[in-house]
Amino acid sequence: MTLSHAHPHSRKPARLVVLGAGGFLGRHLVTASAAASIETVAIGSRDIDLADGAAGARLAQRLRPRDVIVFLAALTPDKGRDAGTLMRNLAIGRAVCEATHAVEVGQLVYASSDAVYSFATTLISEETPAAPLDLYGAMHRTRELMLAAEARAPLALLRVTAVYGPDDTHNSYGPNRFLRQALKDRRISLFGNGEETRDHIYIGDAVDLILRVVLRGSTGLLNVATGKSPTFRAVAEMIAARAGGPIEIASSARQNPVTHRHFDTSNLLRAFPDARCRPLRDGLAATLADVRAEADA
Amino acid sequence: MKPVVGFAGMTHLGLISASAAAGRGFEVVCFDRDPALVRRLAQQDWPVLEPGLDELIRGNATRQRFTPVLSDLAACDVVYVAPDVPTDDQGASDLSGLTALINEVAPALKPQAVMVVLSQVTPGYTRALGVLAPERLYYQVETLVFGQAVERALKPERIIVGCADPAAPLDDRLRVVLEAFGCPILPMRYESAELAKISINCCLVASVAVANTLAELCERIGADWSEIAPALKLDRRIGPHAYLAPGLGIAGGNLERDLATVRRLSDLHGTEAGLIAAWQRNSRYRRDWPLRQLQERVLARVTEPVIGVLGVTYKENTHSIKNSPAVALIKDLADYRLRVFDPAVRASSDWHARMTVTDDPLAPCDGADALVIMTPWPQFRKLAPAAIAGRLRGRVVIDPFSMIDRAAAAGAGLDHAVLGAPLPGCAE
Repeated sequence: MTLSHAHPHSRKPARLVVLGAGGFLGRHLVTASAAASIETVAIGSRDIDLADGAAGARLAQRLRPRDVIVFLAALTPDKGRDAGTLMRNLAIGRAVCEATHAVEVGQLVYASSDAVYSFATTLISEETPAAPLDLYGAMHRTRELMLAAEARAPLALLRVTAVYGPDDTHNSYGPNRFLRQALKDRRISLFGNGEETRDHIYIGDAVDLILRVVLRGSTGLLNVATGKSPTFRAVAEMIAARAGGPIEIASSARQNPVTHRHFDTSNLLRAFPDARCRPLRDGLAATLADVRAEADA
Repeated sequence: MKPVVGFAGMTHLGLISASAAAGRGFEVVCFDRDPALVRRLAQQDWPVLEPGLDELIRGNATRQRFTPVLSDLAACDVVYVAPDVPTDDQGASDLSGLTALINEVAPALKPQAVMVVLSQVTPGYTRALGVLAPERLYYQVETLVFGQAVERALKPERIIVGCADPAAPLDDRLRVVLEAFGCPILPMRYESAELAKISINCCLVASVAVANTLAELCERIGADWSEIAPALKLDRRIGPHAYLAPGLGIAGGNLERDLATVRRLSDLHGTEAGLIAAWQRNSRYRRDWPLRQLQERVLARVTEPVIGVLGVTYKENTHSIKNSPAVALIKDLADYRLRVFDPAVRASSDWHARMTVTDDPLAPCDGADALVIMTPWPQFRKLAPAAIAGRLRGRVVIDPFSMIDRAAAAGAGLDHAVLGAPLPGCAE
């Protein structure tokens, strides 16, 4: 299964409802959607606790027929990696399904994660079998299956690789943490020598691709990635070269075996041939400026 | 007295094979139930493009005659049934037409004449037919290669014959026909012969997959597959004719069909065939190489780009577009203006709404931001890089098969991307 478009050209949705609007992706998506003059409803956890048993009905009250839902809401691993977090995340998925039973929405776009893949295959495409290695990956895979089975809406599943960029509060291992470390401690700490390769997509590019899926009414499965996977050491070196002054890149004793992940983005190119993911160096420069401002503040 | 040989089904396989038998000196009756096709053949208007076919049939003169009359096959001692077998998008063969033709031909044979099924079938097919006594029914492996079919039909490396009982002697008349080709004859049970053809194709795909896998690595690490492949061919265990040219995956339909057959049989019988799935995946991945190159070099950089495309067929010297990477690319570029040329096939407007089809191989370059040479037609080698550079608006030439000289391309200032060679400017 890959992506197919309902609309041959971009067409604004009647209304866009962003679930998880308070998160990293959500904030940027709401801003970009508004900038594109799309009527947008931002729903965050402060508006509706989607993990609550009655959340489906409450969400349905906020929906109108033909709304397009972008479902970003999730408790990320920094909020918990345990079974309780898993069950709350699945409850959120169930609430979204229930809401689509009450209101006939135009499209449902679910932001899943590349955590649904294992490291048995290093070049990932949409054909690569999902085989999650942890509860977070299992949560996304279960939600995918849940939405495919129970949500009453044309469904797009987007498996998003690691996203970086301004205003990221997750501080997970990768570009944003390295930037903060470089500016604050003048030292970037790597696991081992940072040999692992990963794909990092700039927040603006990830949001652009989500909006493209909305505007074309796309359905199916797509990995959202750049197709370029530098090592963590290369990322650290790029940041060190741009952070100003000497930055130490510190290795540490390796706790886990080296793993690699690359994406075959052929299907993404086929779906959106003119989409462009900015080079990591450009995305890091934009992020650096933001993190500096944050540090100054 | 030489046996008279009949062929039923005058599409690609039947026509080439019948012409080769006539070329070996036999009187040949060519039957097809389609009178329009027979009229076309009688007027020497060949429905397929194959180098040497016209000369061969003209040289056969009266030894080879075409007929829509089934009973004309009653004059034959050996009758081959050889229609092309269509395959679907999943590589599954539709054998219903072949079976219908066999059932039509069998009652028309003269007593004691033998039938040879030449169309490729799935293992188990021939023994299950039951239309003739086992000693009158054979299966022969076809080794048709599009673009080289005449040469291979006249000079096969070996002939593989499936028999009901391989311990029994071959029918004398069939043996005379086969010995005329002057190559080893390998009788074996039906099922072995049926699987032998699939085995040959699996070996070919394995070689192609190896070449593609390592050629891609070459592109990333600064090695050059064109330097490595000749060294492999001098290895006795690999050989000078090994399929080691990197390509855009497998196409044409036949290899895909055999891989699909092995997967189906393995699924049915519970044997391990993960390798086959890996070859299929590799093929699909490699087919998209030009799209990835174009995206990186042009589509993500240029507003309203124009792309020139040379070649539409799945390989050179054929009309076939079955699973053609060029057609796939044209469809993938639906949002862009294209200029397309192929020497044998006119690109269809069904594939693309904004396409200009040209009659001149250099015309696709005019005003284009990139030229993509999708099919290795020999005449494309004659295109001068300077002439290409002079007519392109951009500098990018995606040339998977290295049809233009790499040094001359660099000299003309072209950004020239070739399979298996270090990629210019940026990694794939």
